[in-house]
Amino acid sequence: MESTSTTDLADLVRLAQKGNESAQRDLIILYQHRVAGFVYAMTSRSDYVEDLSQQVFIKMVRALDRLQAPAQFESWLFRLARNTCIDQLRRQKLRRIFLPFGDEHENIPEPPGAVDSEELDALRHALAQLRPQDRALLALVQEGRSHAEISEILNVSVAAVKARLHRAREHLREHYTPQHET
Amino acid sequence: MPANTSANTTRRNMKPESAAWDALRRHASAQLHGGFADRVIRHAHGPVAETWRSLFAAGARRLSPGFADRVLRAARVATELPSLGSHLAVSAATAAVCLAAVLFVHQRSVERDDARNLAEWGRIVEIADDDTSV
Repeated sequence: MESTSTTDLADLVRLAQKGNESAQRDLIILYQHRVAGFVYAMTSRSDYVEDLSQQVFIKMVRALDRLQAPAQFESWLFRLARNTCIDQLRRQKLRRIFLPFGDEHENIPEPPGAVDSEELDALRHALAQLRPQDRALLALVQEGRSHAEISEILNVSVAAVKARLHRAREHLREHYTPQHET
Repeated sequence: MPANTSANTTRRNMKPESAAWDALRRHASAQLHGGFADRVIRHAHGPVAETWRSLFAAGARRLSPGFADRVLRAARVATELPSLGSHLAVSAATAAVCLAAVLFVHQRSVERDDARNLAEWGRIVEIADDDTSV
């Protein structure tokens, strides 16, 4: 079942690589929610989700013909998503340095109702305290990427992934403090 | 009320030091908010998978309908628009053409000035020769 779906995905990717717009649309629909979730975990900003997800998929469409192994599509897509988010966070940081008085609009709190539960709020808060690289690591694991895949995405060894993941989890635990009502 | 009476009786029977410890413990535990044990457990274990799922789902809900079509349209526009590289290439080519034109015009004007100067010098030499012969 797993191998069949992998083959189907690889076929879909091959079609999309040939410029088949219907296949490209199917790929976007297939992954849009997962990429949006990943972007949200990376940025903790609801208002960035649509824009950054769009950037990720535009890059995907434009660079798809350069993907050598269609079977590696998922890892490749999440690498694009990770890099896009990290670039955005870097730009945001630079903007804060060069436009110190223009940052009111950069830190808009989530509108009421956007956060479902206190645990979710606490998780968002804890993630916001981590380095973007650590956030990406944790989000990739939650996305179901294996250590080997993450090591390919980050261009580091599997051992380094495990060590970084351990540290990232420790940091997350330090900052994760959900406030429970009585 | 009888429970209070029995607690008071117990406290009266305690040594003063034990009673103080007892009061301290009661005061300290009163500082803990409800659900303390749950909070500690959650803090120790970190977010559960369900919380992560909620986070990803909250992100996914932010996409408005028709997202895929919007992406494909934007990708098409992005392909049609000249890239930064092509912008730079056009700018470099324009600069090169301008430079070549400036050099050409400069070269022509230098040649023209040289020819005029030589002609004038020729005339001066002729006049000087005439004066000498006179």
